[in-house]
Amino acid sequence: MPPKGKAATKPKATETTTTSNPTTTNTTSQTASQPSEPTTVLERSQQRFEKTRPFEAARRQQGLSRLSKEDQKGWICDQLLHLTNRLPAASRSCLLGPKASKEIWWTVNGTNSIVRGLKHKPEPYTTWGTDRNGHDVGSYTIERFDERFRKRIALTALQVSSRVFRENVEREKRGFVDARSGREIIVTEREIDEEKVRRSKMAALKKDLYGAITGKLAESVEWEDVVPIPHEEPEGALAAITYPAEYAEAMSYLRAVMTTKEYSPRCLRLTEHIIAMNPAHYTVWLYRAANIFALDLSIPDEIEWLNEVALANLKNYQIWHHRHLLVEHYYPTISSDPDALAQFAKQERDFLIAILSEDTKNYHVWSYRSWLVGKLGMWEDEEELKSIEKMIDEDVRNNSAWSHRFVLVFSNPKYATPGKAATEKDEKVPQELVDREVKYAQNKVYLAPQNQSPWNYMRGVLVKGGQPLASVQGFVEEFVNKLGEGEEEEEVKSTHALDLLAEIYAEKKENEKADLCLRRLAEKWDKIRGGYWEWRRKCLTQSETEKAPGEQVEKAEEGIAAA
Amino acid sequence: MVVRTKGARCRNRAIFIRKFPKNKKENMAASTTSSFPTSQEGVATSSQQNLDAITDDDFEYVDEEFVLSHSAEQQAQPEPMIPDLFKQPSLVKDDLITATSQLQDQTVEHCLPFLTGEDGPLDLNDYGLPKLNREKHIKFLKQSLGPLPGRFVAVDASRPWYLYWCLSGLTMMGEDVSSYRDSVIETARTMQNESGGFGGGHGQTSHLATTYAVILAIALVGGEEAYDVIDKKAMWKWLCSLKQPDGGFQVCVGGEEDIRGAYIAAVIITLLDLPLDLTPESPAYDGRSNLLTGLAEYVRSCQTFEGGISSQPNNEAHGAYAFCALACLAILDNPRRIIPSYLDVPRLISWLSYRQYAPEGGFSGRTNKLVDGCYSHWAGGCFPLIEACLSPSGPGSEKNKTATGLAAAPESLYSREGLIRYILCCCQDQTKRGGLRDKPYKMSDPYHTNYVLSGLSSAQHQWDLDSDPLPLPNGDTTPSLAALGADSVWNVFPYIDENDQIYEDSDRVRPIHPAYAIPQKNVNAIRAYFQGRSGFASTLGGE
Repeated sequence: MPPKGKAATKPKATETTTTSNPTTTNTTSQTASQPSEPTTVLERSQQRFEKTRPFEAARRQQGLSRLSKEDQKGWICDQLLHLTNRLPAASRSCLLGPKASKEIWWTVNGTNSIVRGLKHKPEPYTTWGTDRNGHDVGSYTIERFDERFRKRIALTALQVSSRVFRENVEREKRGFVDARSGREIIVTEREIDEEKVRRSKMAALKKDLYGAITGKLAESVEWEDVVPIPHEEPEGALAAITYPAEYAEAMSYLRAVMTTKEYSPRCLRLTEHIIAMNPAHYTVWLYRAANIFALDLSIPDEIEWLNEVALANLKNYQIWHHRHLLVEHYYPTISSDPDALAQFAKQERDFLIAILSEDTKNYHVWSYRSWLVGKLGMWEDEEELKSIEKMIDEDVRNNSAWSHRFVLVFSNPKYATPGKAATEKDEKVPQELVDREVKYAQNKVYLAPQNQSPWNYMRGVLVKGGQPLASVQGFVEEFVNKLGEGEEEEEVKSTHALDLLAEIYAEKKENEKADLCLRRLAEKWDKIRGGYWEWRRKCLTQSETEKAPGEQVEKAEEGIAAA
Repeated sequence: MVVRTKGARCRNRAIFIRKFPKNKKENMAASTTSSFPTSQEGVATSSQQNLDAITDDDFEYVDEEFVLSHSAEQQAQPEPMIPDLFKQPSLVKDDLITATSQLQDQTVEHCLPFLTGEDGPLDLNDYGLPKLNREKHIKFLKQSLGPLPGRFVAVDASRPWYLYWCLSGLTMMGEDVSSYRDSVIETARTMQNESGGFGGGHGQTSHLATTYAVILAIALVGGEEAYDVIDKKAMWKWLCSLKQPDGGFQVCVGGEEDIRGAYIAAVIITLLDLPLDLTPESPAYDGRSNLLTGLAEYVRSCQTFEGGISSQPNNEAHGAYAFCALACLAILDNPRRIIPSYLDVPRLISWLSYRQYAPEGGFSGRTNKLVDGCYSHWAGGCFPLIEACLSPSGPGSEKNKTATGLAAAPESLYSREGLIRYILCCCQDQTKRGGLRDKPYKMSDPYHTNYVLSGLSSAQHQWDLDSDPLPLPNGDTTPSLAALGADSVWNVFPYIDENDQIYEDSDRVRPIHPAYAIPQKNVNAIRAYFQGRSGFASTLGGE
């Protein structure tokens, strides 16, 4: 609020500076009195504004100093009048003394100013705001603006009715009694139906007017306090997805609650809602886990829910990391109780067996299973080995099951030296374990000799146990007959046997025999790998002049270490 | 290499064979200078260009006698030349039927008609191969970059991958993708998080996979404006928060740690020239370690008893992770030194070789699994790195002496013909849709289109590692102080088959860097840009 004195002296100051060049004498109210028909609502408002301020247009065009003295006085009085009008009635008299007030009114009456006018000059964008497309509402035609106005009124009316309904629901919940009728308040089915219609109308209007996010969440009372953050992307973004309304809405609420780091039951429900639409959304899964931990919810309950989701989305892989996080979190609470631990391990295994029966080689499930064995210490669990054996019996070619078996047997901390590579010999592995596993693989080879899984397994076991490959020479030779004794005579039941035989001969420095195996593989039995067999033959001849490949590698490594 | 006369139709016509001089190296050099102005440029792609490129000199090599007898043979025997290997089920088979063998037999049954040309009225060449349907594949990828309908919600978290797959595929097919620069910039901006890295879209958590895809897409469109989108400092801090004490990387904060993380981190660190120092907030911070400490050891821990590589220690060997492992090591140090130091190379080569199947010709991802076009890259793309690791060191070193002590790789360790046959016959969607796919009767998609083309590119080219291992700084045994491999000089040549080339010259796609999976010139450009801006690195002292 400007001090009294200053307000009074201001006109004087301007007066003294402008007396020297009185250039304009025409009354400015004339120029404003000929408005053209307004086309937009902004124009209409601006015209109205100027009508109440007869000197304003001229001042803007010419500047205050160029106006005639009378016009200047008129403008100043106008300003003062509008200024005092904005004040509460009681303080108006404090601003100017009775004498000054009288003089102002006298001037105002003389210039035909309209006292009750618009307080602010209407400006594009700021006065009316923008519509959902970012356009200035002020640029609307009068008709269009009126239509928008009617919609806003309609929305307000609906919002009022909706509020009444919600209050009634609240009253019903608390068993309130209607004061007039004395009856308990009951929300009828019809009222609920009406509210549903109302909500959809409100949503449509909100979307129309403000481009607001609509859908189940926007209509729900639960989410009323959240301001959704809509998807932001410039036009022409690459691989842009035309999101279905429901997904777009849910994501905009997710962005909002993630920004405020809200962890609550409704957030948990939101993640479920999104996961149902897009289970590959890693962000949602991580946020879901955060909610569960923050709210300290029951992990077994979550796992139960997850089982359903996993069975419905076999190829999904975020599920398995989520499960991993859950178990990491849950483990400390049961680690000291062997019974609980065993019980949990059994539960997990039962589910894994169920899901693997649907998708026997699912990489993510097997990865989780292998991790779980380590986490829960299931190395010695006989059931685990049995269940793997069952899977191998069902499909002896299931390499995932074979891989799991190898981990189960040879990554057992009881026998595994930490830091040893998988293809490295480990002195800690007991002989009987090696024998047992070699025997197991061999029995499976007999079922289908061209199945590579048990061959790879057997070779892996021999290397781990530090046994020469030649220890299985007799077995391997069973699958190869009369090699190199003529096309008709030669019999190869398994190319993997021939491959291993070449290695056995090379190990025993019987390079000619090894070379024959490799040559026959390249010429006839396994031609697709011609380049590889050729390379193996080159390695043989190289080792003849130098040393065995294995030793060479070690030597090379030492060389590097020394370098 | 086969060169057709301009009017030659597909079958039953005389062809000119250009025979190569005895010394293949010399010839390779010659072809390098003619169609490769610099070794890092793309290959001439249109058939017209290749026909024009043939000078009189080239015809010196034409063995007319052979041409005549060959053409007579052709007339008498109109069958396309398809080796039996790719026409018949494999020679050695078991009787036992299990779920695996049923699926395998079914796949062979599905592929054979495509491999022998019995499927459909396609125009096949003398070797029974259809052409690469460039136009349709280009159209397919361009469409995949456009607005996608609502059902694509399922890939909402993978949109950056769409950028990379499509732009990379288009680049390999010779399209200029710089016109996408502005849209890549705009799209990438909405995916970047202030806390560093890129997520799958607006408001999504930063993830290494999506960050990798965005950075490669930016590198593909190129230009300083595009590079400037990347908040390098935030990226560095974020990477530090993902680094784990065991040397590996989590894929996102709270996410899983696996070998993809290891590879992608190596790519990001070297492309953006990030400082290696760790922030004190990093889970791996101990005052001594840096971003690369223990990374090679982590890769080593993922090799399995089969010889292949798994996603995490103690899992099954899988093709995609083999590529991640080898490419990660090749970025950390010279492949000749680092691969044999950390991996059992003979077992790895054995396992990789067994990924190729006959008669299909394509690669599978795991033992006893089916062929899939994408492994043309994941498994097939390992071979340039393996061949580099087996290659004898540069001049001056003992001839044929390799760092591994193993024999140098032959011309080709795997059957390039098999892979090319599988790609051209089985992986192309020949309908109006276009694009490349996993196998017959599967839908094409940008993922397969890109990785099948990467595999094709790798089968059509040969890479030569032109640098010897540099001495390790401070006598270290592990390359933890600098990513030495990123500076390796790779030269690329078109692969010239000893026998006839089975595909048209016009079907050659452009080469990509064996570790970064984008053209070498794009790798060089983005690295040069960030290396030239050392301001951020020098201010680190005050962090």
